[in-house]
Amino acid sequence: MGVATATLVETFKARDWRHFDVQLLLYVVLLITVGVVMGYSAGFNDPGAGAGASQTVKTLMWAAIGLTLFFVASSVDYHWLQTLGAPIYVLVLGLLAITMLVGTNLFGAQMSVTVAGLDFQFSEVSKVFMIAVLAAYLTSRRERIGRLSTILVAGALMAVPTFLVFRQPDLGTALVFVGILIGMLFMSGASLGWMGLMAAAVIGSAPVVVSMLHGYQRQRLFCFLDPYADAQDACFQLVQALNAVGSGGWLGRGLTVGGEDQRGYIPVQSTDFIFTVVAEDLGFVGGIVVLSIFGLLLWRVLLIGWQARDSFGMMISVGLASMILFQLMVNVGMVIGVMPVTGIPLPFVTYGGSSLISLMFGMGILQSIRMRSHKPTL
Amino acid sequence: MADLNDGRLDLRRSRGRFIAFGVVAALLVLGLGGRLFELQIVNGEVYTGRAAADRTVEVAIPAPRGLVFDRIGRPVAVNTPSWTVRVRPADLPDADRRRVLARVAELTGASGATLRARLEAFVGSPFDLVPIERGVTREAALLIGEESDDLPGIVVAVEPTRRYLDETGAAGGALLSHIVGYIGPVTRDDLLTLEDEGYLRDDLIGKAGVEASFEEELRGTYGSELVQRDASGRLVRVIETIEEPQPGTNLMLTVDAEVQRLAEQSLIWGMDVAGVSQGVTAVMNPQTGEILAMVSLPAYDNNKFAAGISTEDFNVYLADPNQPLRNHAISDIYPPGSTYKLVTGIAALEEGVTTAGREWPTYGCYQIPGAPDGECLFDWNRQGFGPLAMVDAFAKSSDTFFYQMAIQTGIDPLAAWARELGYGELSGIRLPGEEKGIIASTEWARQQGRAGVFTGELAQAGIGQNVIAVTPLQVLNSYAAVANGGNLMRPMIVRGETDADGNLVREYAPELLHRIDADPATLQTMRIGAREVITSGHAYNIRDLDLPGALSGKTGTAEFGELTEAGTLPFHSWFVAYLPSAAGATDADLAIVSFNYSAVVPGNVSAEVVKYFLQLYYDLDQDLRLDPNDFSLVTAN
Repeated sequence: MGVATATLVETFKARDWRHFDVQLLLYVVLLITVGVVMGYSAGFNDPGAGAGASQTVKTLMWAAIGLTLFFVASSVDYHWLQTLGAPIYVLVLGLLAITMLVGTNLFGAQMSVTVAGLDFQFSEVSKVFMIAVLAAYLTSRRERIGRLSTILVAGALMAVPTFLVFRQPDLGTALVFVGILIGMLFMSGASLGWMGLMAAAVIGSAPVVVSMLHGYQRQRLFCFLDPYADAQDACFQLVQALNAVGSGGWLGRGLTVGGEDQRGYIPVQSTDFIFTVVAEDLGFVGGIVVLSIFGLLLWRVLLIGWQARDSFGMMISVGLASMILFQLMVNVGMVIGVMPVTGIPLPFVTYGGSSLISLMFGMGILQSIRMRSHKPTL
Repeated sequence: MADLNDGRLDLRRSRGRFIAFGVVAALLVLGLGGRLFELQIVNGEVYTGRAAADRTVEVAIPAPRGLVFDRIGRPVAVNTPSWTVRVRPADLPDADRRRVLARVAELTGASGATLRARLEAFVGSPFDLVPIERGVTREAALLIGEESDDLPGIVVAVEPTRRYLDETGAAGGALLSHIVGYIGPVTRDDLLTLEDEGYLRDDLIGKAGVEASFEEELRGTYGSELVQRDASGRLVRVIETIEEPQPGTNLMLTVDAEVQRLAEQSLIWGMDVAGVSQGVTAVMNPQTGEILAMVSLPAYDNNKFAAGISTEDFNVYLADPNQPLRNHAISDIYPPGSTYKLVTGIAALEEGVTTAGREWPTYGCYQIPGAPDGECLFDWNRQGFGPLAMVDAFAKSSDTFFYQMAIQTGIDPLAAWARELGYGELSGIRLPGEEKGIIASTEWARQQGRAGVFTGELAQAGIGQNVIAVTPLQVLNSYAAVANGGNLMRPMIVRGETDADGNLVREYAPELLHRIDADPATLQTMRIGAREVITSGHAYNIRDLDLPGALSGKTGTAEFGELTEAGTLPFHSWFVAYLPSAAGATDADLAIVSFNYSAVVPGNVSAEVVKYFLQLYYDLDQDLRLDPNDFSLVTAN
């Protein structure tokens, strides 16, 4: 009891905040701002997406909630995630199983956090939780980290939630789980030889996964290989996105006014295509700026991982870095036609409460790791 | 204060792997930037130019399908507005698919499995609107509309649906289903060839009857328009019409729906009293070849097909041994029995085997020449008739007379005369599924690996048994040709086409297939024989009908199959007749054939059917119908 109280006091010690990483917060806020401005710009002339302003307001509300969560998570020592690793894993499986069985859109108010009419998707927060679960497990392996069993158990831990989201069906999130697993295993010091073999096995099973998809889902997935071959049907969205990006030029067509006739054709309903708006409205320069912010953010996340006080903190950091990098690659890659079309949001930028809140929660944990990395060891 | 991390062993932090991760991340982000440069700066112009073109799509405008009218102008196939439920796969999430389709099935009264099957059978783009249920009621359509928020991807639209009417204008497809046919969705296999002809993936096409044989005329020419699409591929705005659709032309049938009803009514009666399961009655104008009625029973309800027939209903039709989907008048072949003596008679007269006046002995049982003693073929009259010439032999339907005629004529001349009269050939009626039939000949025997036809077979061929199989329409058409003085006409089912405003755009003139290459006197002899059939009483009391003109005809029975318990063979019964419709007229303008499959009654049910039809057609006060179960009627063959 006495220890617990002391710990609570300890966590809010003002001296921790001297090590608060302002850069991390800055990049995150910049990306959220890009998302708000672009979302507003995209919705501005599109009557189908509802009033652009109301979506902006919603995003700002989510951002406010996210920031609060960010500071709360920063304040608390991140080791609670390590202590509660097993219960968190069970919670993730429970949430995903219910989502799969009932279906997100049938969730009643008691099953989902509904703020301003938006359902909370558990798969988003599951990503952050699974990073913590894997970090706890991998840290516990210590000197046995190089064994094959490490990879197998970590893979098994990840396989269950991956399967659950795949069956929702949410191919995108399932792929993100796989990306996180690979990144974290690599950084944990797992055997590269065994990882290579496992990777070969995963690649070998890809045709099976593809065969489980419906015909047109499959077509859409492979549009990037030759989008103009089916420009009117399955690849319509991708072709429109490519045309929009391509017409951006150096400096873009400008916000809201830019693509007056093109505007309706960027699929804002699925805001996974938000980078199209960036590239069209702000051009090559705008696109590079956004990519650069992501680069800087990744740099900070990796740096925090390198400097983390313990390997649990390090593993969480590299897990988050893997997630952001993977989503960035697949999302932007999709829009510019070098990656298959999958429903993966662009971190911080894509409009979506669940994604934003989960990411802010993850960034809060990161800040917590950062703030406690300089703590003098007694 | 204890360190929370006290005593924990850490993983080794690998500088190398951190650097590797960082380098890979940097390279990947740089790669994205490079591709962006390529898209926006290097090839920017290309994509800018494409933008507008890729947003529009050329969409077909279906042409209204032509209507079908009977010869009096009664509509028998029309388009009525109806609701169709469609699915846009792109808008229907997989997770909701089962639930949404189950709900639609509930609201429309369809089966969820059928709807799912229709959706899954569709090959095309996820933006296509896949029709899953046509002919939905207005109430169901409204309910679906109300629940549209919970039914993603479901679209309900008003579309013309085919509706088949009877002579009163009420929905009654069965009356004319074998003539009018029905339309149905194009199949995946059809599309392989039809897509080039402008058929759409969700298109309808004629599947039977004139709907199929006049598909091109009824379909019209589809137009096209340029349509703008929104971001999710929906068609939002028509930019311009490229080509207006040309509506299909309307068909005017030669068939009179009221006559069709009378023919159906009389046939139903006859089949009912005689316990027959399949039957045909066809009525024709022998001068022109126009079909005035063509009934094949049992029939099917083509309105069930118009809205998309359910698998269960379709299986019921397929499983029926009487094959209601087949038009027995043209698609099935049967032994013609004694009606075929027309062919044998003409052949014998023309080949010089006999003359009109030459008498031949007849027998109770005719000894087949060259066969062992006692191997003889019976006459239906086991006493024989004594010596007969052609007219009387035809009127009394002496089998042994015609055995001799056939044997004297020879199989190949007999077959040639059959073809001259339209047997063994397609009549050319514009309905799908016509059969040629089987006419025995030396070549036919060789195809079966034999040197030739046996003499017994040749004798049987002479009375239309065993080695001869024909369609009811061929029987009708051959008698019509003799009745009209020797013109074998192409049976007509459509007499004209009109445009959407009712103006005649095309008229189908009667078409002569060929003149029958026989001496007019020969045909005259056969006509006298056919008249004698009626007047001599061989066809019972039909001569007592108070008809406007002189009736001529021929009965026929054709045994087949296996002995019944009573020791007799089941037989098909035939009756074919013709007459002028006006007093004193010499040109026959009405010819009727009736055929009843597998009768076991002693009398000729087909003669009764024709009699009843004539009573109805001429609205006679008489009712001379006999019960074909009556054993006193066994004189007929």
